[in-house]
Amino acid sequence: MEERKMVVGLPRAMLYFRFRILWRAFFEELGVPVAVSGPTDREVLERGTDLAIDEACLSLKIYLGHVDALVGKCSHILVPRVSNFGRHRNMCTRFEALPDLTRNVFRNTGQKFLTYNVDVLEKKKEEDAFLEIGQALGYPVRTAKRAYKQAKKAELAYRKAKAREQDTLCRETGLKILIAAHSYVIEDAYVGRTVTEYLKQAGVVSLRADLADWDAALECSQELSGTCKWEMSREILGGIAMYENVVDGIILLSAFPCGPDSMVNELVTRRVKGVPLLNLVLDSQTGTAGVETRLESFIDIIRFKKGAL
Amino acid sequence: MDAVKGRNISFPRYAEYNCAFRFIIEEAIGAKYIMPPAITRRTMELGAKYSPDFVCTPFKTTLGSMIEALEAGADTLLMTHGLCRLGYYGELQEQILRDLGYKFEFVNLSEYDMSKKKEYIRIVRRLNPKAHPAKFLAGFMEGLRMVEYLDEMTAEYYKNCGFDASGGEYKRIYQDFLTAMYTAGSRGEVEAGYRTAKSALRRVPLKKPQRPLRVGLVGEFYTVMDAFSNLEVEQKLADMGVEVHRWMNVTNHFLRFSAEKNMRVKVRDLCAYEMGPTATPNIFWAREWAERGFDGLVHIKSASCTPEIDVMPVLQNIGADYKIPVLYLTYDAQTSDVGLMTRLEAFYDMIHMRKRVL
Ligand code: SF4
Ligand code: SF4
Repeated sequence: MEERKMVVGLPRAMLYFRFRILWRAFFEELGVPVAVSGPTDREVLERGTDLAIDEACLSLKIYLGHVDALVGKCSHILVPRVSNFGRHRNMCTRFEALPDLTRNVFRNTGQKFLTYNVDVLEKKKEEDAFLEIGQALGYPVRTAKRAYKQAKKAELAYRKAKAREQDTLCRETGLKILIAAHSYVIEDAYVGRTVTEYLKQAGVVSLRADLADWDAALECSQELSGTCKWEMSREILGGIAMYENVVDGIILLSAFPCGPDSMVNELVTRRVKGVPLLNLVLDSQTGTAGVETRLESFIDIIRFKKGAL
Repeated sequence: MDAVKGRNISFPRYAEYNCAFRFIIEEAIGAKYIMPPAITRRTMELGAKYSPDFVCTPFKTTLGSMIEALEAGADTLLMTHGLCRLGYYGELQEQILRDLGYKFEFVNLSEYDMSKKKEYIRIVRRLNPKAHPAKFLAGFMEGLRMVEYLDEMTAEYYKNCGFDASGGEYKRIYQDFLTAMYTAGSRGEVEAGYRTAKSALRRVPLKKPQRPLRVGLVGEFYTVMDAFSNLEVEQKLADMGVEVHRWMNVTNHFLRFSAEKNMRVKVRDLCAYEMGPTATPNIFWAREWAERGFDGLVHIKSASCTPEIDVMPVLQNIGADYKIPVLYLTYDAQTSDVGLMTRLEAFYDMIHMRKRVL
């Protein structure tokens, strides 16, 4: 049998948007080519919806659609398990289940999956996890270690730059709206982008809560919620706490029926006073229908309030 | 022991475990326990009314039960920590209740680091500054024993009650046992209640066929155990003449944790990692029962329960590999008895027919 060339597939969904710098830099350092699935479109979503359990969140449906698009086209597809980074630093349980869930859904395809496990409470740190991948692909520990260190540096630099960008946006004049959402919801071409594009063409400056400086955000999240245990929700909460006084409105953007958001966004609605809030929940049926109308009237309300002041 | 004056503690309804909560609060901590009323439609409706729409159902049920506990005179609410969304229930429920205007003290275990023993003492002291450490330990251990008795008797009950040949004795004894646990005021009463019921159950004549229909229940922690939340699915199946098995309970999940760790080893081929709070035992038992020739499996969860949705693809594969029917049930505050009955009857007809053919 012909030995197939090594190509690692990266589904352009879920944690891709959080870890793409880390992943890409790591594989590049190792010299392993990667293939990223294309941006989400109707077809990807439909395929994923067919593959997923009905009640799963929109993000998982999109994810499975992306995995499907890569199946048979790469030697491996990367599906990490990221459970937690320590106490009160958990990921949504879906990210614990992801590798096994994906394997079970695609078990008849013969596709190979590459997984790693970050579970700090069980003493599995991110670095160890990356050494695991290196090993699985046949690289010596030292090479993998160096690649991880380089990749981590690139990721940190990128995050710092993004956080600075948010701070700059804060100083812009004009109407400013903060979007509070998971990165993969807001950056998804088929769902979140409808919102950001609309705001852009309406001349609104949009900030992102999830891009605020992560360390500062984790700390600040305590102001809004003392026992929130989800890392990504805490970053978003922190971002809200850091920016709520400089923006004119906040959009809580969520993928139906997101577990953490179902609670965190309710808490935000009850605790963040004095800034207009818009709750937008996107699902696989309605998609983004009606979103523009709601955004339009939200902006009108803010403008009206500002003018009246 | 001196009970602290003016402190009336409650904890939301959870299956039949409130008898043990009461015992621990009163006998171990020396405070007064307010028993929240049994869950009814009203509890569910209250909870659903004030909860965010797409939060999982146990959040709504426990919120409703907290409201009813406050109405019954509780001034201190205790809420647990836990994996998954459960660990975040407390903070949001407290906020909702405060926004509604209720006055109470809230003791949220999620605010403590429950991996440290010291924290337990802090909590006990907070509930009753005069609590006596030795008495606490003895009372606490007996409370846990009550949980074990409860789980043992409940498992026994659902395996056999569908075959009671006496016309209702089995059920009556089980109900009496529950009453004994809810009213026990000392270690002696707990032990006596358990022993009486155990030997009484043994004397009830059963009419069980050589190969009865056997069904195993797996699923989400709260809904699979709470008879009101799952609309008494176990009793309904038993009444059709089914031997009902369920491994998941507080004893097995919390008090015998090492068993679960060892199950991991056997399910590696189906799932390489821990997929969620109850994934391992669910997957383990689904396959175990399939291998033992059970006639069907029922998977139970509340609406939008993330970890149980994620286990479903594995269960589907087990169902396909072992050709065992799996009934998937999702519960929300609107799930109706009639709808459930229709699905259970269809499921029963199928497994019954297969048994005759096979
Ligand atoms: S955080 Fe929400 S959107 Fe993301 S995987 Fe979990 S349930 Fe889905
Ligand atoms: S296991 Fe399911 S029902 Fe329980 S907290 Fe998690 S999502 Fe909610």
